[in-house]
Amino acid sequence: MNYLEVEHLQKHFGEVQVLKDISFSVKPGEVLSIIGPSGSGKSTLLRCCTFLETLSSGKISYMGQEAVQAKDGKRPVYAPKAEFRKIQHYFGLVFQNFNLFPHYSVLRNITEAPRLILKKSRTEAEKTAMELLKKVGLADKAKAYPCELSGGQQQRVAIVRALAMSPSILFFDEPTSALDPELTGEILEVIRLLAEDHMTMVIVTHEMSFARAISNRIIFMADGYIVEEGTPEQIFERPAQERTRQFLAHYQ
Amino acid sequence: MSFFEIVAQLSDSMLRSTWIFLLTLIFSMPLGLLICVARMYAWKPVQWLMKFYISVVRGTPLMLQLLVIYFGKYFLFGLPLTTNYRFWAVIIAFSLNYAAYFAEIFRSGIQSIPVGQHEAAKILGYSRMQKFLRIITPQMIKRVLPAVTNESITLVKDTSLAFAISYIELFTETQMIAASETSMLPYLAAAIFYYVFNLVVAGLMSLLEKKLNYYKI
Repeated sequence: MNYLEVEHLQKHFGEVQVLKDISFSVKPGEVLSIIGPSGSGKSTLLRCCTFLETLSSGKISYMGQEAVQAKDGKRPVYAPKAEFRKIQHYFGLVFQNFNLFPHYSVLRNITEAPRLILKKSRTEAEKTAMELLKKVGLADKAKAYPCELSGGQQQRVAIVRALAMSPSILFFDEPTSALDPELTGEILEVIRLLAEDHMTMVIVTHEMSFARAISNRIIFMADGYIVEEGTPEQIFERPAQERTRQFLAHYQ
Repeated sequence: MSFFEIVAQLSDSMLRSTWIFLLTLIFSMPLGLLICVARMYAWKPVQWLMKFYISVVRGTPLMLQLLVIYFGKYFLFGLPLTTNYRFWAVIIAFSLNYAAYFAEIFRSGIQSIPVGQHEAAKILGYSRMQKFLRIITPQMIKRVLPAVTNESITLVKDTSLAFAISYIELFTETQMIAASETSMLPYLAAAIFYYVFNLVVAGLMSLLEKKLNYYKI
């Protein structure tokens, strides 16, 4: 069974069509990177998959359960409330600009949702949080506030916050784009660690060499379409489409 | 009368002014938050109603509103105007008035919070209510503190408008003593009281701001 199944997804913003018939799926344990030029619809696709945007038409299912379906021009129909809430727990999202809660300490950022929503006990939530923080090398920052951390540290906390909800799929929306170049390495290292643990991940990124090294599969998007899809070797060494070659030429 | 005798005589009415200030704050802030939330998120017709309410309250003088609340009891409902009601008319009028201003201050605070905060809370599974109470409101409070300080200081001085319905708070009594003693000293005493009161208000608020400085937005 696929963790995520997107069928014929379309998204309009007013007159502008940003996504034009997108279909793809994510298998358990897979690391899928979505690459493509700015404005190709990568981020919008991620936002549709995480229900931050509504879809204009198409269907999205998690774990074989239909989450939302929309037919041309009509309001999207979501799964019944209880089921939809369950579906929302299947995924987590790491934002480009972290979006940590500034008024909470690092620890509370990570533990509040598990306690509040998953009804975990305080000790249990804090134990998980500390283990995860140790894993990303930030155990000593548990009591710090986000404003006291560097961008790279904030993003690592954001990743831990998402992981603490034990999602089946973790989405990354350009996780290193808001960081200084010398800080991107620490984030990529964390994602690499997660990949070694067979975390299922969908990563929108501009870091080509990273995408190539870490992914099982690459999707190349341009102008609202999936132009090409394949293994990193196929996409980076023998791209079938001219559009893909043009794009990758910028990164040579 | 010496200056200290005047102050002593004014002390009861100072206390009454303080009560007007405190009760108005206690009632108008939660009411303002309620109006703000209704104005932003409620069913459309309720939103329009709140907009209209805010517009009327901000667009007419507080003194006029006070007179309407006070005399309205008799003219609209035919009920007698008791001395006791004077105090409550002041509290009702001031609370309704300040709630409208606070509603707009809170709205500006809520709208200044980045959309990413809403999105992060949503992705983590917070319900709308949990998000509002735990993520949005605390950050909003920090952002609106300077504006709330402004309003509070204005309120200290606005308590003197209770004069319009002869409720004997500080300003009314000052007038009375000044007239009977033919002296400027009562005015001086009142001015010092309002000023010191506002110093305390500003001081407390800046203390609160410092307390919330443990994080930056």
